[in-house]
Parts: sequence; C-alpha cells; structure tokens
Amino acid sequence: MKLFGLILLIASFLVGCSKEQNFDERVIYLISPEKIAGFDPINASDMYSSNEMGKVYEGLFEFHPLKRPYELMPNLAEAMPTVGDDGLTYTVKIKKGVFFQESPAFKGVKRELKAEDFVYSIKRLADPKLMSKGWWTLDDKLVGLNEWRAKYAQAEATNYADEIEGLKKVDDYTIQFKLKAPFPQFLYALAMPYSFVVAKEVVDFYGKEFLNFPVGTGAFVLPKFEQTNRLVYTKNPNFREKFYPSEGEDSDIANGLLADAGKKIPLVDKIVVDIIVEAQPKWLGFKRAKNDLLEVPKDNFQEVIVGTRELTDDFKSKGIRLHAEAQLDVTFISLNNQNDLFKDNKKLRQAISLAYNRAQANKLFYNDTAIEAQGVIPPGIAGYRKEFKNPYTKYDLVLAKKLLKEAGYPEGKGLPDLVVETRNDTSSRQILEQFADNMKDIGIKVIVGQNTWPELVNKVTTKRNMMYTMAWGADYPDAENFLGLLYCPNQSPGSNGANYCNPEFDKLYKQAVVLQDSPERTALYEKINEMVALEVPWVFSFNRTKYYVTQAWLKNYKFMEFNHTQFQYLNVDLEVKKQLSKKF
Amino acid sequence: MTRYILRRLIYTIPVLLGVSLIIFILFNLVSGDPTALLLGKNATAKQMVELREQLGLNKSLWLQYLDVVKSAFTFDFGRSWQSKQEIMHMVKMGAYPSLALSIPAFTISTILSILISLVVAFYRGKGIDLFIRILCIAGMSISSLVYILVFQWYFGYYLGWFEISGFEQGFPNFVPYVALPAIIWIVLSLGPDVRFFRTIILDEIYQDYVRTARAKGLGEKTILLKHVLRNAMIPIITYVVIQIPFLILGALLLESFFGIPGLGGMTLNALNSSDFPVVKAMAILSSVAYILFGLLTDILYTVADPRVKLK
Repeated sequence: MKLFGLILLIASFLVGCSKEQNFDERVIYLISPEKIAGFDPINASDMYSSNEMGKVYEGLFEFHPLKRPYELMPNLAEAMPTVGDDGLTYTVKIKKGVFFQESPAFKGVKRELKAEDFVYSIKRLADPKLMSKGWWTLDDKLVGLNEWRAKYAQAEATNYADEIEGLKKVDDYTIQFKLKAPFPQFLYALAMPYSFVVAKEVVDFYGKEFLNFPVGTGAFVLPKFEQTNRLVYTKNPNFREKFYPSEGEDSDIANGLLADAGKKIPLVDKIVVDIIVEAQPKWLGFKRAKNDLLEVPKDNFQEVIVGTRELTDDFKSKGIRLHAEAQLDVTFISLNNQNDLFKDNKKLRQAISLAYNRAQANKLFYNDTAIEAQGVIPPGIAGYRKEFKNPYTKYDLVLAKKLLKEAGYPEGKGLPDLVVETRNDTSSRQILEQFADNMKDIGIKVIVGQNTWPELVNKVTTKRNMMYTMAWGADYPDAENFLGLLYCPNQSPGSNGANYCNPEFDKLYKQAVVLQDSPERTALYEKINEMVALEVPWVFSFNRTKYYVTQAWLKNYKFMEFNHTQFQYLNVDLEVKKQLSKKF
Repeated sequence: MTRYILRRLIYTIPVLLGVSLIIFILFNLVSGDPTALLLGKNATAKQMVELREQLGLNKSLWLQYLDVVKSAFTFDFGRSWQSKQEIMHMVKMGAYPSLALSIPAFTISTILSILISLVVAFYRGKGIDLFIRILCIAGMSISSLVYILVFQWYFGYYLGWFEISGFEQGFPNFVPYVALPAIIWIVLSLGPDVRFFRTIILDEIYQDYVRTARAKGLGEKTILLKHVLRNAMIPIITYVVIQIPFLILGALLLESFFGIPGLGGMTLNALNSSDFPVVKAMAILSSVAYILFGLLTDILYTVADPRVKLK
C-alpha cells in the first residue's frame, strides 16, 4: 500500500507539469530552429542569429516590413543617403536623440548614439583580429578600408583611431562613405546585421564577453545572453519615437496589416524565443498554442494544407492563418566545370539536366509547391523573367539521349560513374537517390556520396568533387548576389563552387553590377541569366516556397525574407487569444 | 590504498597524452581545413589564409599537438571557433541541464531496476518472472526514437500533462521540462538494466552461502535483501558507476527532442561544424571523468566487500 501511495504521489506531482497560458501581457512566442552563437553583430552570419540580433541592435537602414518588392527605408538614418555626383560618395545623416540601452559600461549616464559609433562598428567589421563572417560585404568597397585591415593583419593590436578616407564622421550626426568604385548594393550592406551599431564603451567594458551582453538601440532588451534554449526579450522602455508604417501593398489593408498604422512601436511587452531543433516538438507546440508563428514542417504539410494554399477546416476553426511565399533562393546540383568530363562538354551537362524529372522531385520532396528553377536568378528579383523557359530544364529523355550520344557517350557508354556529393541527412539523400534513378534512364550511373557538412564544404572549396548539391538564399534582393556564384574570380574556395568560367559572362557581369537599379540593368541581368541558363553550369532544381502558420492573435505578420527587424512591428490581440485558447 | 589511488592518478598522464594524440590525429586526418566552414558561404581564399594563421593552423604539427597537450593538462580550452564562447563556460552551462535530466532519471531507473530484479529473482521461473522478462525484451526491441515520439505526442500533446519541450534554469523551474524526458529515460533503461541485474542476482542465489542461510532458517526476503544484494553489489557498482561519466554528456536524442540545452547537443554541433577546441575539450573531459569514476568504482568495492584490498 505504501508503495502504491508513493507512486500516486509522484504521479500527481508530475501530472500537471504543463504551464498555463499568460493573458496579462502581450507576449510573442517564437521558435528558432538553430542555436544562437552570441550577440556580436559582426558574426550574425545566419538568418537565425540575425533575427535575434535585430531585436536588440539596429542599423542605418532596414527593409520596409510591408512593401514588396523589398524596399530599403531609413532606420537609424534620418533619411536615405545623398549620393555625390561621382556616384561614389554617400552621406548619411543619423537621427538625433537616439540612446543606447542602459548598461553598466555607461556608468549611469544616458548614452546618445553618434556618427562615430557607426565608424567604430564598421571598423570592427573590418578588424582582422575579429575575423568577422561579414567582411565580404565591405571587402574592397570603401577607400582605405582594405589597407587599414592589411596594416593590422600581423600587428599585436588594431588601432581604431586611424582615419580612413572612405569611412568618416563629418559631425556628430553625419557619416560619409566613399566607395572605390560604383557598387549600388552598398546600401544593402548597411541594412545587414553585420553593420548594426554597437558602442565602444560596451565592447571595451565586456571584452571577449561582449557577445553575451547585447546593448543596442533596438526595441527590445536582453540583459544577458545565457546560452540556454530560451531567450526572453523585454520592451525597451527608452526606445525612441518610432511608428508603425502607414503604407504598404494594396492587399495589406484588407489583411489588417495597416490597423496599427501610426502607432508607436514596439507593440508587445515581451518576446520569448525557444530554440527547438526537431520538427515534432515545434509542431506539437504550435498545435497547443505554445508558439505563435511556425514554418510548416514538410511532414505535416498534408495535415495543414489542402491543395497548395488552403488551410484544413480544423486549423481554420482556430483562426490560424497560412502564409505561403516564394523564397528568394535557388537549389541546384552543381557540376564541377573544371572537371575534364564537364569542362568542354556542354552537351553532357545539358543531357543530364534534361533527364532530371523535376515534376517528380517536386511532388516527392516539396509537396508540389516549389517552382522549377529556369536559371540562376529566382522569382522576385529583378533579372528573373517569368516568360523565360529554359529548354534544358524540361523532362525530355529522347533529347537527353540524343545529346548524350553527341557528347560522346551513346547510352552512357564510356562515361565513368558520376559521384554527386551531399550532406548526410535523409532529405538530401532522398533527393539525390531520385536524381540517380532518373539518370539510369539515359544510361548514366550516379553514386550518391554522403558527407558531414565539414567534409562537403572541404570537397567544394578544394574542388575535389564531380558534382554536389546546394541551395543559395539571397543575402539581399539583388541579382548580383546570385550571378556572383558563377563569376570566374569567385571560383573555389570562393562562392563559385561550380568553378564555372566564361569570359563573356564575366564581362557582362562586371558591366551590370556597377549600374544603379534601372530598366537597363534589369535587361542586362535578364540577358546574363538566360545566357548562362543555356550553358547549364548547374542542374537547376527549384525555387522553393515557404509555408508559415500564425495563430489568430498574432497581428501584423507578413512574410519577409530579410526579417531581422520585423518583430518590433508585430502585435498580439489578447482578447482573441483568451477566447481561442480554449480551443487548443 | 593511498598509494593505489596515487598510482591510478599518475596513470591519468599517459592516458591524457594518448587521448590528445588520437583526437589530434583524427582532427587532422578527417576534418580537413575548417576555415571555409567557419567563415561561411561568402568566404574568400584570402580570408581563409588569414583565419588559418589566426587559429594557429599554419604552425608545425608538432607545435599544434603541444597546444592540445597543454590544454589537456591545464583544462584551458580557450574559446569555441564557431560561437567564440569560452569553452569551460559552455561546458558549465550545458552540464547543468544535462545533469538536471540525467541524475534523477538515472537514479530512479537504477533503484527501480534493482527492485524489480529482486522481485523477479524472488519469483524466478514463475509467471511474473516470465512476464517481466518478455516485457524487458519487448521494450528493448523498440527504438528509443519511437518512445520519444510517442510519449511526447501522447503525454505532452494529447493529454497535455507535461511540457512538450523547452528548459528553464534553476530548481524547480526545470522540473516541468525534464519530467517527461526523465520518464522516457527510465522506461528505456528498465529493459537492459533489469535483465542485467536479474542475471547477477540469480548468479548469487545459487551460491553456497545462500544455501547455508536457508539451512539456518533465514527467510527468503532477508536472504535476498541482506546477503544476496550485498554480494551482488560489486558487479552492480561496476555497471552503475562506469555509466556516470556518460551522464554528463547527456542524452543526445532526448535533449534534442525536448529542447534541453545540454552537452550532448553541444558536442554534436561541434562535430558538425569542425569546432575542434570544443571536440577536444569534450573528449578530454570525458576521459578524465572516466578515469576518476573508474577509481571511484575500485574504492567502492572496498566498501561493498571488506575482503577487497586495493594494492
């Protein structure tokens, strides 16, 4: 009897170990599927770290939360920059009366944001001792910055007091950048988390532990990063007067996205971010209303969505909303264009592409929601032309066999086994097994090589591969960010892992990337994209669509590819939450 | 005994040298150049060269190995290449959640397993013995992933009795989060533990001293609890104590599915990102823990059986 009693006692303690919902505060519950390394903006190289950084830190510019195509707008800058007649000098005025969050580093004094903070923050990004992952955004762009970096590469310490011609404080509220050569994408670099502003006193005060004590000017405060799986941000009580936008797309009014227009942000008291890697707990948590926003796991797609855009009745009855948006990305099977097999054999590359059954892959792996990629540039970025259909991305075994014969390998005879490298996860393997099966139909034997991520990266950067799979997501909404993947000087170990070199392509690329956004540049991007698409340096695969679900009470959510600063605009309707929570 | 302990502690030196060498060779042979991975998708060749210099990868292999040895003996592992966090702090932060889950789960599962083993040994050959053995084998035949997925869905989501995932620092804040994974741990451990302990106890039951105790008229319960259990303690201690170092490493799958920020996930992340300093730290700390708990096992033998002398 005693044992039975003990078991009952333990059971009664454990049962009810589930926490109750909180309806007193406006709290947004979010999920991050990856660990956050720390809070130093210069190392915010992945989208998950960037999202966390954007809650505390800010930059000169940000992407408008509602307008599409994506448009930059001033954030800490007073207005968009003035550009000198030479097209190289950018002058940016910053807002006055903006203060950093409280920190012991400021010794009780309210610390105002000044132009020199940006100069310091950008020098940190270039500091060779700090080895930022974001250096590429400014590499060889500003006059004197590379020289400054080189000067301290071998030195004991870096001297931040040095003047740099291309990076100057004009007065307390004005910064001037001088570019070496025209680079219209420069402003995007100033909207990326790498260039978010930090205060020198805080960096000096915490030293190497700076990455655990974020002190920015942003809408939310995180006093200390504890390296746990839960981050709790509270509203910054001293946040400046910043308001919810009053403009957006036509559909935004109907979708209730302008209901908070003109209101002071942030609109919520807290943001709680849980780091959960596995799909099941994320999904079950959403269904139990433990989190407010989630990307639909691919294995739960049928449970949520009917067709491609319609929610199931169960989800509709709970007020859950579906957001389906094409991503600015491209997936591909890269062919090593320096490998003797592929180097001067366009027909072989084209034959492989023609034998790949993309419709089957789309159905099997993307629930038929992805767009078959026609070239390097994805939809949503100037340079993509919807009407362009790459003749080598259709599924045509007859033509594939014909081209394979013309390439010197009739029915695959004489062609060695092709090895395609990928990561050692189930999805990657499945995708390539289907590709290998397709290739059998034209007599090509493909072997799938599985690698850990470090092994795969090494095989790509050292050119020790025949083929490999990869996906590339936009760092900013400009075709330069995609076309650069096939620019010869970027070949491995750079981002051109296909080691594709085409003098004609390189010439047009160099012409295009220095042009300001204009119909002329768009036409040139289209020309390059379509030219290289026919060359088939990659087997173009897909432009993927992302599906998100949001709880009924989460307001103002609109899918953003570059969403570092989006969370300050979100809101929670507590009444709706109280009513609907009973249904979960 | 002091001399024995000192001698065993001195053995730690060659073991650590060996472990350092193995880790160093494996890292250099298998993982290749980590710089491309560390610098991200936009890395340039020049940056990779600079980073190799900064990480000390351009030094001679001999000097690099000396660095590994130095950190093995000073426990100064520096900072993670990937996150730039101080490694010993990462270990401390990860050890707490891992231990918050593993200590109660391991303790309860061990006690329960011993109790159940005593019961089945007492009823050996009878229905209950057969039933529990079948249950153990059935339990062991199912993958741990199935238990995790089913229990999380049923008890966490469907019945809503437990938190589905997450973790909060500090007692009792973490209890709602570790309760369900701890139950799964216990269920997973019962099968192999009960079978192992049952075999040990049955081995003892057929010894002469048990027959003598019975001849003296002692009851079956007294024989089991006072005499058999005590004599079975040496293999049980070996089995139990040697598992303790691995508790610190946490339970990778449980931590991952329940969002517990323990050392298991940290080690796996480090392996996946060629974060050599973290891999090195975890390998060395595990070796040291293994040696120390091995020593503790030997000392506990003398407590469990006074006839054992450490020389």
